[in-house]
Amino acid sequence: MLSAHPPTARRVAMVTLFCVLALIAAVVAGLGVGPTSISTTRIIGAIASGLGLGHSTLTPLQATIVWQLRAPRLVLGLVTGAMLSVAGGAYQGVFRNPLADPYLLGVAAGAGLGATFAIVYVGHGLTTPSWTPLLAFAGATIAVLLTWGLGGRGLRATASTLILAGVAISALLTSLQTFFQQQSSIDSIARVYIWLLGSLATASWSSVWMVLPYVVLCVVVCVAAGGALDVMSVGDEEAKTLGLPVRRVRLVVVAASSLGTAAVVSAVGLIGFVGIIVPHILRLLVGTSYRRILPLSVIFGAAFLVLADTIARTIMAPTELPLGVVTAILGAPAFALILTFRRQLTT
Amino acid sequence: MNAVEINELTVRADARDLVSDVTLHVESGTWLTVIGPNGAGKTSLVESVVGLRRIARGAISISGQPLETLNERERAKLVALVPQRPSVPNGMNVRDYVALGRTAYHGLLRAPSAGDRAIVDSVLERLSLHEFCERDVATLSGGERQRMVLARALAQSTMVIVLDEPTTGLDLHHQMDLLELLRREVTECGLTIVATLHDLTLAGQFADRLVLLDAGKVVLDGPAHDIIRREELSRCYQMDLRVIDIDGADVIVPVRGVSQ
Repeated sequence: MLSAHPPTARRVAMVTLFCVLALIAAVVAGLGVGPTSISTTRIIGAIASGLGLGHSTLTPLQATIVWQLRAPRLVLGLVTGAMLSVAGGAYQGVFRNPLADPYLLGVAAGAGLGATFAIVYVGHGLTTPSWTPLLAFAGATIAVLLTWGLGGRGLRATASTLILAGVAISALLTSLQTFFQQQSSIDSIARVYIWLLGSLATASWSSVWMVLPYVVLCVVVCVAAGGALDVMSVGDEEAKTLGLPVRRVRLVVVAASSLGTAAVVSAVGLIGFVGIIVPHILRLLVGTSYRRILPLSVIFGAAFLVLADTIARTIMAPTELPLGVVTAILGAPAFALILTFRRQLTT
Repeated sequence: MNAVEINELTVRADARDLVSDVTLHVESGTWLTVIGPNGAGKTSLVESVVGLRRIARGAISISGQPLETLNERERAKLVALVPQRPSVPNGMNVRDYVALGRTAYHGLLRAPSAGDRAIVDSVLERLSLHEFCERDVATLSGGERQRMVLARALAQSTMVIVLDEPTTGLDLHHQMDLLELLRREVTECGLTIVATLHDLTLAGQFADRLVLLDAGKVVLDGPAHDIIRREELSRCYQMDLRVIDIDGADVIVPVRGVSQ
């Protein structure tokens, strides 16, 4: 299936089918797996009933567990995985940098600072207040605006000036966050640490509705920009001579990726590795075209994060593992394996 | 009619004039090559023509349209560039690479139309690239790669193509092959070419008109046959250059040890 040549239509179709199957498996696992055992048949029946096809055979208790506990967690996992993966892929394209991830321009540091401020000064270290997502979102957005202000020079932004500005702003905000933490109690530090690790455990329908509009809009913009990112792969100057308004495309893609990432990070905390690993796995499988990578990142990223979350909440149940740890444990070997296969075939 | 009009052009960088007060008019369906020693301002001049350099003074028009009034998309429909060191992205196949030349026509949100694909196929056929069209661009030889970059420029369907040292890194056979191909496009399709070349023999044999640039200024401008015989050429290159006529073709030879 893997080869050094650009992918054939058949290979792309097979990978697409694999991604769709992974998504179906993730949805069934997300709704079906948990302390209360519910059979796959009943889960499929409940999903069909939710879509207006047939009747659900779930008991009232099972229906509450599925629709009020597991479903919001599943949907939040799907939108988070899709957003982080698409944002990572889009950043890699717009900066022509394979190491780019959704946190490149300071989103993580800004959100971390916002959340720390909320926990330390609003919750006084005793609780994680309901303001945390809002302040994390504000922190992430302000961080990207500062990065753009420092390195962007309006529409004259280049990839390298933005990346360097992102490094500087991230360092500054992280140091401020460390300062706030250092001024607070052990309880606060523990709460901030838990938030930073990222988790879907507090998912609710209200958090889903809070992030969904941003994610839908931002994912649509990023996927639509796939063709433009392909043109940008020849570099800014050549892309301009081909008719691409490079700076405007960069501004739109960076704005969409950052806003969507800020929205999901504010709801679930910092989940690392998804945004870098998913686009890279797909690039190895379907080639370098962002017209293929980005739509598949939506499907595979969503499936990947939900499957990782299912493992995170069940493998050491009742204790939950940090989601970011599971995404790295799953993603890194998968990536290494694909890379090795590809290298063998290339040589 | 003039395909390219450059009037009193000055291009500046770091308070230094790279191109200074240059005026050139290039007639449609002709080939103009800019020659000159390293640092003469050749690349700055041709990059200005495709809108990659900020113009400090003067103006450029392509097919009668002032460059500064055009956006990237409008410009890409009038003039195409074959850069000196094109960026070739790994993993892209030759057909997709050539199809990048249609970006200005199908827009950012739409895929190439059947018409765009037909133009790409026709260019691939014309440049004998159809047998490579599914290959990864990274696996092509230097000659094949340069031909592919030219195909991308031709796919832009512009009447003007700007080439910055298009023969860099090619062996003699591939240099001649590429320039013959360009000559055919000028003669048969009425293409206008503005190029830079270091090889004076090739410049003299293929261009209709040569412009000698030195320190950003035009030193000589005229028919290729005349320019290569002028003394100023030797002075600019600071060496003795001789012209030998071989079966009607001018060959420019530097003479060792005679420095001006």
